[in-house]
Amino acid sequence: MGDHALEVNNLSRHFGELIAVDGVSLHVEAGETYGLLGPNGAGKSTAISMIAGLLESHGGTIRIEGEPMTTRTTAVRSRLGLVPQDLAIYPDLTARENLRFFASLYGMGTKSAKARIDEVLEVIGLSDRADDRADEFSGGMKRRLNIGIGLLHHPRLLILDEPTVGVDPQSRNAILESVEHLASEGMSVLYTTHYMEEAERLCDRIGIIDHGRLMAEGTRRELVASLGNQDRVSITATGPLADAAEAFAALDGVAEATTSEDTITLLTGDATRVVARAVETADAHGLTVASVEITQPDLEAVFLHLTGRALRD
Amino acid sequence: MKLLSIVSVGLSRFVRDRFNLFFVFLFPLAIVLLIGIQYGEPPTLTVGVVSAGGEVSDEIIERLKDTDRVEIVLHTDPEEVADEIESGDLDAGVLLPDDLDDAAWEGRPSEVTFLSSPFGVGPQLRSVLDDALARTLAVPTAVGAATERGADPDSARAAAADAAWVLEVVDVETTTTGERIFPEDVTGFDVGASSQLVLFVFLTSLTGAASLIQSRKLGVVTRMLSTPTSLRTIIGGEALTRFFIAALQGVYIMGATVVLFGVNWGDLVATAAILVAFSAVGAAAAMLSGSVFSNDEQAAGIGVIAGLGLAALGGAMLPVELFSDTMLTIARFIPHYWAIDALADVVRRDAGLADVVPQLGILLAFAATIGAIAVWRLRVTLTR
Ligand SMILES: Nc1ncnc2c1ncn2[C@@H]1O[C@H](COP(=O)(O)OP(=O)(O)OP(=O)(O)O)[C@@H](O)[C@H]1O
Ligand SMILES: [Mg+2]
Repeated sequence: MGDHALEVNNLSRHFGELIAVDGVSLHVEAGETYGLLGPNGAGKSTAISMIAGLLESHGGTIRIEGEPMTTRTTAVRSRLGLVPQDLAIYPDLTARENLRFFASLYGMGTKSAKARIDEVLEVIGLSDRADDRADEFSGGMKRRLNIGIGLLHHPRLLILDEPTVGVDPQSRNAILESVEHLASEGMSVLYTTHYMEEAERLCDRIGIIDHGRLMAEGTRRELVASLGNQDRVSITATGPLADAAEAFAALDGVAEATTSEDTITLLTGDATRVVARAVETADAHGLTVASVEITQPDLEAVFLHLTGRALRD
Repeated sequence: MKLLSIVSVGLSRFVRDRFNLFFVFLFPLAIVLLIGIQYGEPPTLTVGVVSAGGEVSDEIIERLKDTDRVEIVLHTDPEEVADEIESGDLDAGVLLPDDLDDAAWEGRPSEVTFLSSPFGVGPQLRSVLDDALARTLAVPTAVGAATERGADPDSARAAAADAAWVLEVVDVETTTTGERIFPEDVTGFDVGASSQLVLFVFLTSLTGAASLIQSRKLGVVTRMLSTPTSLRTIIGGEALTRFFIAALQGVYIMGATVVLFGVNWGDLVATAAILVAFSAVGAAAAMLSGSVFSNDEQAAGIGVIAGLGLAALGGAMLPVELFSDTMLTIARFIPHYWAIDALADVVRRDAGLADVVPQLGILLAFAATIGAIAVWRLRVTLTR
């Protein structure tokens, strides 16, 4: 039928006054890795909870391979593997016991589970620690076990909610590699993160979410192109930055100037043409320039452009 | 299959927790031992008596000696008796005056001194002494009074001796009339053990609720929901785990009291049915606590308080026979009451399964009601 792995339409959820997810529509194609990129509190986990059928939505629809998903549907869940943001493992059970438990909840037979558990232990790099209790694991190992549980039953759609938070670089790389590996095997993946680099590295398409709303969506190239291919000049300086903002914005060739605490960011068609005059302007306004950085536009810039804020502060 | 996995993981997590092992196996055993030993070997009270001899005095001493659990030690020096009470060697002392016999027969007042420390069993012994005095002095006092009014001493004495059998009949009647709390062939601890069983089954259930809250806090319950497992199966598995742990606690206490004190649990089918029904109540209460509280330590703490409080109100600490009417009315709203009531029927009155059906029905109704509230609460909290 060519159904999407996931199709979300106009999904909403509020907590009291707070609108956590506000009319989000997106889809994940079969075999695609889709990244949901947004800062803390953007509504990523809330959206994921609804997609996984764990949280009542206040509007909108969710379909997984064409099948509607609500908090009351059970069967569809077998197509879905969830790796929640917060560890969801039994610390007093071993890695293998945790996996065995969830394998049985996914309805896997004892025999096929046994073989698959060994495979998964291999994928998450815990084969040699399989029979140690999870509470003896390092943070990264716990995270890997947390991920392993979501992989057990070869889900059609794997949902990972910030799986690398609080993990050392080595473990993080191992996690990213296994996601890449799974994607290369044809698994559809929905991946949330507030790390731009992860989204850029892993994802075929990226949705940018802030304050519960999907601000933009597309491939990395498309998103960057939406900025009008602008270069970015970032001047880190001390002094009355805010007062100088208007002068920077008025500079010839500068499309937009944004100031944060100690940085002025200029968006321009051609950075090399602007840099010299920008530094002069800074001098003229009594700013002490500490550094000047020129960057090609990236997702961070897209985010800044869309929201006027940095992805992480 | 999934249900079994949930139960087996629940039980193996339970067994791995040393705290659980302590509170389910060691702690109840210690309490049962403590209480069982009290029932099993009641303390003997030692009473020092100073007497100059004589018919009346000797009879008083005989009566005291006949009292259960009272041992009489004869002394000659009142000072010595007082000292030994102070040092704890004697529980009490009775000083019979030298002229007791003469005074009794002549109808003169005389003074018997009762000594005891302000602590402990003094009042109990006092009533034992009062009883012995009253019974012994009845005849001489009557004779003395009659003589005083001009009767012939010898015939008054004979008449009183003839009438004395009345006192013995009264004696017999006081021990046999009225329903005794515990029948002769049931040791006090057969009943005490039922209370312990009920108390600990419920207490263990309530404190065990903490593990459900932990699972919720750990996010494992939510994750279980993300698998193709129905909420009903998950809740059922958790409830069944709680049930098995409650029943295990009950079986353990039954076994321990049989081995240690030879406690008689009556008809096993009936007892098992009561245990099953009450464990179901415990499991339901655990699920309710697990759904209401969001902090496992808080739940365990409140579990202990509620477990002990309900046990007290339901008659698992003090026999309901000693309850006032108001307390008895309250007790009827506590599941413990019905479990103890049913166990009492089985243990004391040789009841079988059919005889305790009413209590079983009430217990199952408790389980169903509490369970339904718990499931409703859990559904709400887990899917919001
Ligand atoms: N159970 C809840 N009750 C009340 N508010 C909530 C609840 N869950 C989330 N929120 C609020 O909804 C908003 C979105 O939260 P959410 O967890 O979805 O963000 P997120 O994008 O996952 O953030 P992070 O990157 O920090 O994980 C936040 O403002 C949060 O405080
Ligand atoms: Mg989140």
